[in-house]
Amino acid sequence: MPNLTIDGRSVEVPAGTTLLEAAQRLGIYIPRYCYHPKLSVSGSCRMCLVEVEKAPKLVTACSTEAAEGMRVLTASEKVRQARRDVLEYLLINHPLDCPICDQAGECGLQDYYMDYSLRKSRFEAEDKILRQKRRAAGPYLMLDNERCILCTRCVRFCGEVTKTAELEVMERGDRSFIDLKEGRALDNGYSLNIADLCPVGAFTSRDFRFKARAWFLKRTPTICLGCATGCEIEAHHYEGTIYRLVPHPNAETNTWLCDHGRMTYKAVRAGDRLGKALIRKGLIDLEPALRETATRLEEAKGAAAVLGSPWLSVEDNAALARLAKDSVKTANYCFDFSAEQGIKDGILVNKDPAPNTAGTRTVKALYGGLSLEEFTGLLAGGKIKILITEAKAYGLVKAAAEAAGIRLIIFARNRGEAPAAAYAVLPYASYFETEGTFVNYQGLRRMTAAAVEPPQGIKPLWAVVNKLASYSGAELHLDSAPRALKDMDF
Amino acid sequence: METILLKNLPDIEAYFACGGYKALKKALGLKPAEIIEELKKSNLRGRGGAGFPAGLKWSFIPPGGQGQKYLVCNADEGEPGTFKDRELMLKNPHALIEGMAIAAYAIGAAHGYIYIRGEFAAETALMNKAIADARAKGFIGRNVLGSGFDFELFTHRGAGAYICGEETALLESLEGFKGQPRLKPPFPALKGLFGSPTVINNVETLAAVPSIIENGGAWYAALGTGKSGGTKLFCVSGPVNRPGVYELPLGTPLRELLEVHCGGMKDGKKLKAVIPGGSSVPVLTAEEALAVNLDYEALAAAGSMLGSGGVIVIDDGQCMVKLLQVLARFYHHESCGQCTPCREGCGWLEKVLDRLEAGGGSAGDIDLLYSVAEGMTGRTICALADAMAMPAMSFIKKFRGEFEAHAAGKVCGN
Ligand SMILES: Cc1cc2nc3c(=O)[nH]c(=O)nc-3n(C[C@H](O)[C@H](O)[C@H](O)COP(=O)(O)O)c2cc1C
Ligand code: SF4
Ligand code: SF4
Ligand code: SF4
Ligand code: FES
Repeated sequence: MPNLTIDGRSVEVPAGTTLLEAAQRLGIYIPRYCYHPKLSVSGSCRMCLVEVEKAPKLVTACSTEAAEGMRVLTASEKVRQARRDVLEYLLINHPLDCPICDQAGECGLQDYYMDYSLRKSRFEAEDKILRQKRRAAGPYLMLDNERCILCTRCVRFCGEVTKTAELEVMERGDRSFIDLKEGRALDNGYSLNIADLCPVGAFTSRDFRFKARAWFLKRTPTICLGCATGCEIEAHHYEGTIYRLVPHPNAETNTWLCDHGRMTYKAVRAGDRLGKALIRKGLIDLEPALRETATRLEEAKGAAAVLGSPWLSVEDNAALARLAKDSVKTANYCFDFSAEQGIKDGILVNKDPAPNTAGTRTVKALYGGLSLEEFTGLLAGGKIKILITEAKAYGLVKAAAEAAGIRLIIFARNRGEAPAAAYAVLPYASYFETEGTFVNYQGLRRMTAAAVEPPQGIKPLWAVVNKLASYSGAELHLDSAPRALKDMDF
Repeated sequence: METILLKNLPDIEAYFACGGYKALKKALGLKPAEIIEELKKSNLRGRGGAGFPAGLKWSFIPPGGQGQKYLVCNADEGEPGTFKDRELMLKNPHALIEGMAIAAYAIGAAHGYIYIRGEFAAETALMNKAIADARAKGFIGRNVLGSGFDFELFTHRGAGAYICGEETALLESLEGFKGQPRLKPPFPALKGLFGSPTVINNVETLAAVPSIIENGGAWYAALGTGKSGGTKLFCVSGPVNRPGVYELPLGTPLRELLEVHCGGMKDGKKLKAVIPGGSSVPVLTAEEALAVNLDYEALAAAGSMLGSGGVIVIDDGQCMVKLLQVLARFYHHESCGQCTPCREGCGWLEKVLDRLEAGGGSAGDIDLLYSVAEGMTGRTICALADAMAMPAMSFIKKFRGEFEAHAAGKVCGN
């Protein structure tokens, strides 16, 4: 455990800790471009140079390991000069097109220039090396070589994380440029991480480009529900609209996000998002739709069934369980879901596409119910006339329900999710709009956060269930998400 | 003085006639540590440019039998003004092979590679023939001379990049990757070729080894001076009467090399400056050059370096701005581009020099040149950036008047 001092403050760090990491422990930030905590050390940008007493030259903090008794200076005049010089070198062939650059506001060049330089360039603008401006590099990314500072983070990401190695530094010297290998596209399923990794506006997200200026965005930490991994994310939004999801790096689940997960926010404002309910495909306000549904349930007395969903929160599943037990008063319900869980690609994506298979177990433990096999058998048996469930969970019993001609009451957020044959489609708030508890494949129990408001009149699923129950003449008294959970040992 | 390296013995029989491969036999009877000790005593310093003590370098290889170790000979010889390794391979290939076999035995390497500059096709063919001859005689291959020591030796041709002469870029290239220097540490002695401990030495360094083993380290050290043991090949280019490669004891006055061995300046030419160690080292004025001795310590004291021993002679008809422009073009072209200061700085220097040379610069350009070069110094992964910056700064410091004339609009004829 070497002891060293950085800017006069002493710190003890585990052997093998780099100066950059040691400084970080003291809250001292050393500027960097090529360094990334989850990628191999490249040591090439030379932005992190620091002074070590008695060393003949400045050393790169990202690659130099702390040693006993080292005395490190991170803000000496020598160090500051080196940073100014590196910035100046980086900017000489940079197009300086910040006004039309999507990275503006979160750009490593802009930030460090403000922090360390503010020196007028001594380079003659007409001498700049021109490079290829924007072009698509795969389904999710744009590449602008002129803005690239050749930190190679993108190259290392593709080589080390996805191991797909699509990218390469071509040529050499100041003719170097990042390019796709011949015949390749950046479609490795994790490509949008490159837009995050790229410290400048060279790789940008095609989805996010020009939609919003970074400095207007509000950030809400939440979790991704794209699969059972449950990555921690930040939803970036402005005036009630989400513009992108980015990772919220953490030790438990994720540094990165998969491209599929990144796009899950799209459904929130998709054209087919339901702002009203549907009865026999016709749009209708929620209240009359619930009254209509209550009537149908009444008719079917004894022949109704309720199926929970591993795509719904623990609270919403609990509300469905209460609906079955205390309002419909039936034993024909099921919260029994299982799926093989675990990372399937060695990176993040889970074998289980549902985000809450583990969470439904708590509901089952408390409320019991049929096994999925029994439930499917029940539906196939022809005694059930009406089924209440969520759109994706319906997929699990579709064959049996269809064959038996069962009337479907489906909870769905988007029209496209719901089966065309549904008798009623009941809209509810997405988990970007309301809180909900989810348990991921590791057993980590976390809540989503309401980043934006649901569309006018749209409520969380538990609240819709509460209303439906009261139209059916049985008050469940669910007036908040925690109340939906009140019986549960959480 | 007797020539040690530059004997004209390309043929193995001729090499035998001069006592060739006796040193290898002797070495195989010594313990590896004894050989390294002899090397240390010899004060043999690396002839590739950096002048690192060879014995010390070998001693960094973890001793013991486990794991693969490699010996690599750097025959990339790309430094402008340097043409000695080529000459050595043409004239005395077996000294290199014998030296490599001894070095490999000393560090415990079973495999050796000679990384030869791509343009050296004839030299590669000659080395291959010499290796085949040595193999036929049992100096290379399994169980060398019945000693139980195995040594395979291969040649590998580069593809034309100057940067592949930098030892870790060379290793990358040898492994089949793009030639780019590696971040150090780890140093090659611990993690070199294919991740194994590796010694990389210049052709001339390795070719000196047999004579050291044969005659002893003390004998070799005494040929030179101070910490600069032995003889050195000097490649003289420029307007002297007899340019070429000369083998001289370290410590020989530069004046003697130019005036005696090279026969002085050509008619009507006046010495203006000398770059004493290949294009990468600081320039000396005529006055400084004529007062300095050719050894590592003396040249360092004079503010330059012995480098590779490429002595570039500059007469007063040559324009220093133009010369620096030529150098900048070279380093700009050869920078691998990893490090920001080198990638961007080399090109920037060239651009400023282009306009100065064309008479289109301004007075501020001179300080700009200097400070761009200064910003590249000591701040990069390998020494290529310094190899550009050091000459640039020394040119400006010592010949500022010529830069000022250009800044004021002067355009040279050439
Ligand atoms: C840009 C650059 C080019 C180099 N080119 C050569 C070369 O062509 N030949 C060589 O022997 N050493 C060259 N070197 C030096 C090598 O990196 C290394 O120091 C040398 O091969 C070690 O051998 P030595 O200790 O026997 O000198 C170069 C270094 C740099 C930075
Ligand atoms: S594209 Fe971005 S991440 Fe890739 S090397 Fe250039 S600056 Fe770095
Ligand atoms: S791996 Fe799963 S949880 Fe993570 S981002 Fe992708 S879909 Fe979302
Ligand atoms: S100093 Fe220049 S040549 Fe050497 S590694 Fe850096 S960029 Fe490449
Ligand atoms: S962050 Fe250390 S060299 Fe780039």
